[in-house]
Amino acid sequence: MRKVSKAAKGWDRGFRVLAAIGAASPAVFLVSIAAIVLVESIPTIRFMGIHFLTETRWDMGNLYGALTHRNGITAPAGASYGALVFIVGTLLSSVIALVIAVPVSVGTALILAYRVRGPLGFLLNILVELLAGIPSVVIGLWGILVLVPWIANAFAPFLKSVLGFIPFFGGQTGTGYSLLASGIVLAMMIVPIITATTRDLLVQVPLLAREGGLGIGMTSWEVVRYIALPYIREGFIGAVALGWGRAMGETMAVLMVSGNATNILPQNLYSPISTMAAFIANQLDSAETDASGMAVHALSELALLLLAITLATNLVARWLVRPRRRGGVVAP
Amino acid sequence: MGKSMTVRRLNAWYGAHQVLHEIDMDIEENRVTAIIGPSGCGKSTFIRCLNRMHETHPQARVEGDIRLAGESLFDLDPVDVRRMVGMVFQKPNPFPTMSIFDNIAIGLKLAGVRRSSELRDRVERALRMAALWDEVKDRLAKPATALSGGQQQRLCIARALAVEPEVLLMDEPASALDPISTMRIEELIEEIKQTYTVVIVTHNMQQAARIADKTAFFYQGHLIEMDDTTQMFTKPKDKRTEDYITGRFG
Repeated sequence: MRKVSKAAKGWDRGFRVLAAIGAASPAVFLVSIAAIVLVESIPTIRFMGIHFLTETRWDMGNLYGALTHRNGITAPAGASYGALVFIVGTLLSSVIALVIAVPVSVGTALILAYRVRGPLGFLLNILVELLAGIPSVVIGLWGILVLVPWIANAFAPFLKSVLGFIPFFGGQTGTGYSLLASGIVLAMMIVPIITATTRDLLVQVPLLAREGGLGIGMTSWEVVRYIALPYIREGFIGAVALGWGRAMGETMAVLMVSGNATNILPQNLYSPISTMAAFIANQLDSAETDASGMAVHALSELALLLLAITLATNLVARWLVRPRRRGGVVAP
Repeated sequence: MGKSMTVRRLNAWYGAHQVLHEIDMDIEENRVTAIIGPSGCGKSTFIRCLNRMHETHPQARVEGDIRLAGESLFDLDPVDVRRMVGMVFQKPNPFPTMSIFDNIAIGLKLAGVRRSSELRDRVERALRMAALWDEVKDRLAKPATALSGGQQQRLCIARALAVEPEVLLMDEPASALDPISTMRIEELIEEIKQTYTVVIVTHNMQQAARIADKTAFFYQGHLIEMDDTTQMFTKPKDKRTEDYITGRFG
């Protein structure tokens, strides 16, 4: 029998080491990123305490003047790091995105899973994947050129005239750079992920169960409503959470159309906002001019909060969409 | 009371493959008609045409005329057709997320039954008709998937009967069941033909001989022969029928 050569053994060892490094890297990245933002944010956690979450005022203070001391931390005089505006902006814009994206995604997923076959189905599936691949800065540019003027000139006045009696739909219609514009671009960016996940879940609903519904005279909508959707319920909630996590973390497109509000909570749908992610990207440059380093620490704390929220939604989402078998009906 | 069905020049396709060729058949009311034939002969496709289920497949196509008591199925909404022509499938397929009660009640609710007392009565009646009431009356709120295979299939029969169709189609309803469950289903068919017209696909010739008044033999997408069951099993007219029922192929 031929012996394995020394060289071959050496290559194999090298291969195994490389594979091990590769396999460990996601964990290493995640842990090191989390550790760095945590360590970096400790000074502002001590300086602001819980007020970081409840204050609306974000002010780097007088960068060239006196310093102030609190809880053993030194910061520029007048500095206040309140993230409430960005937390609210993130939550509201992402929820608006869900309100728009979920019905669109469910409709598309139903068509893809049950209605179309062959070349048309192939084309539609490709289109969904392509939508996911549009760089967010391109969507943001489209937002500035098309969406924002349209909201300012047509959509916001229309919404106000029809639904103005509902709080948050009335009031100033603004410039178009708004909560509404942010929600719409976010919706476009999360439709693909929700659609693709929901489609894959719907395909798993046994044909026999759906035919059973048709067999007693259900309409196709009733089959979806009473058989398919209840069957995929948990996974579907996960798909929505996946989209939600993505919407909260999205940066560029929102930065471009949100109006970058600071220090003021949105008064209505047409108010400018800012999100945690967009604000970090927008402010990092000027934060680095703070010699005390506190402005960067404050942005790190914002990043830590964002990381925690998106990680939590993703974990819950992944757990809900995990593949599983159901008892009873055997797939045909 | 059940209704009769007439089928004229029925052709059916899956994509480019023609599954049924020029089928003519008269199905008498309140009788059990069995469809027999080897695998792939088109017998399942045939009964799936009778409630327009065949067309739900994206590549399926059908031509010809099918009438229910004189009225063409293709002039009706498929949803209405399936309320009049119920179906029991090859494998038990209770609605997986619903309780035993809801499995039957859902069809009634969607058909417009609102009062809960009427719902309860009709669910009970359907379960009694399917000889399942005594076994499940104490656990109606349990998931339907907790029942045994034979019980699940009787639940599916009850579900189909609850909406009071005129015709009941059964696609090898006992093929996934043990002999005792099979026997119960056969007894059930014997009972329900008082009220319904039954068309049953079976690959089991003894079963056809036991329960059917009329038997039709399908081969390679053609209806070869149809006659009274006793006639068919004792003096078949066609050589292929004889070969099949004597076990020379299939």
